[in-house]
Amino acid sequence: MGAPRRLAERLLRVMVSLAPSGSRDWAQAMLGELDFIRGDWAALFWALGSAAAICRHAASAWRTLLKQRKAHEEVRMNNTGKKALGVGIGVLSALMLVGCAFAILRITDLMFPGLGIAHAEWTHWLAAIVVPEAILIAAAVVLWRKKGPVAAGILTIGLMIGLHLAVHLAMR
Amino acid sequence: MKLRLSPQTLLVLEAFLDQPEDWKYGYDLSRITGLKSGTLYPILMRVAEHKLLETRWEQSEPGKPPRHMYRFTAEGLRFARTQLTSQSVGKLGEEALGRMEA
Repeated sequence: MGAPRRLAERLLRVMVSLAPSGSRDWAQAMLGELDFIRGDWAALFWALGSAAAICRHAASAWRTLLKQRKAHEEVRMNNTGKKALGVGIGVLSALMLVGCAFAILRITDLMFPGLGIAHAEWTHWLAAIVVPEAILIAAAVVLWRKKGPVAAGILTIGLMIGLHLAVHLAMR
Repeated sequence: MKLRLSPQTLLVLEAFLDQPEDWKYGYDLSRITGLKSGTLYPILMRVAEHKLLETRWEQSEPGKPPRHMYRFTAEGLRFARTQLTSQSVGKLGEEALGRMEA
């Protein structure tokens, strides 16, 4: 056995041992053919071509795997992003509702100072706590099944208002 | 079926169509088609991945490593016949068009 054939055999054996499982059978097939090739240099060229083919096949398998992983990662990130956006929309909507309630209270006080709304505590309770809280809870219940993240955002603000109320009552 | 039909792939399909029931070896295919191993094997891998080729190992001679053999599956045979027929019809059409233009 000449040096080129020895080199060819060694190269293909290394390729068989390094090839990923999907390419190993093919690498073994190329090595198996080596014994039937006449001419040492022909065998070496066969091995070089085979090694390139195995590398390309392995690289393509890796690329496919990476693409699949990347696609999976993107889907996961998109889902997380969508959920975060939903929660954000819920929080923002609830805050706007509470803000509107305060604004209505303030405007009514400015337009009808004779009513004495600014000094009546029950109006604050009703406009800033009871009505918004009832709307927030109703909205969260309605949206829970179809738009869970938005409902969660709304409920968060509802809970914060509730907590604020509890702290306020405890302090008094 | 998404199999890139390069001229080299068509050569390989043609080689398999010659006595399609016989199993063929990689080196024999290389000699028949004139393709180097670096071109031939990626084609064989692709065709096999599309389930157009079946493979098996054969212990040929004592003291020698087993050989990997290939032949068309029924689907592969159908596919190759269809493709090669449409290719040759296309070629005939191009030739006829060339003659008309000349």
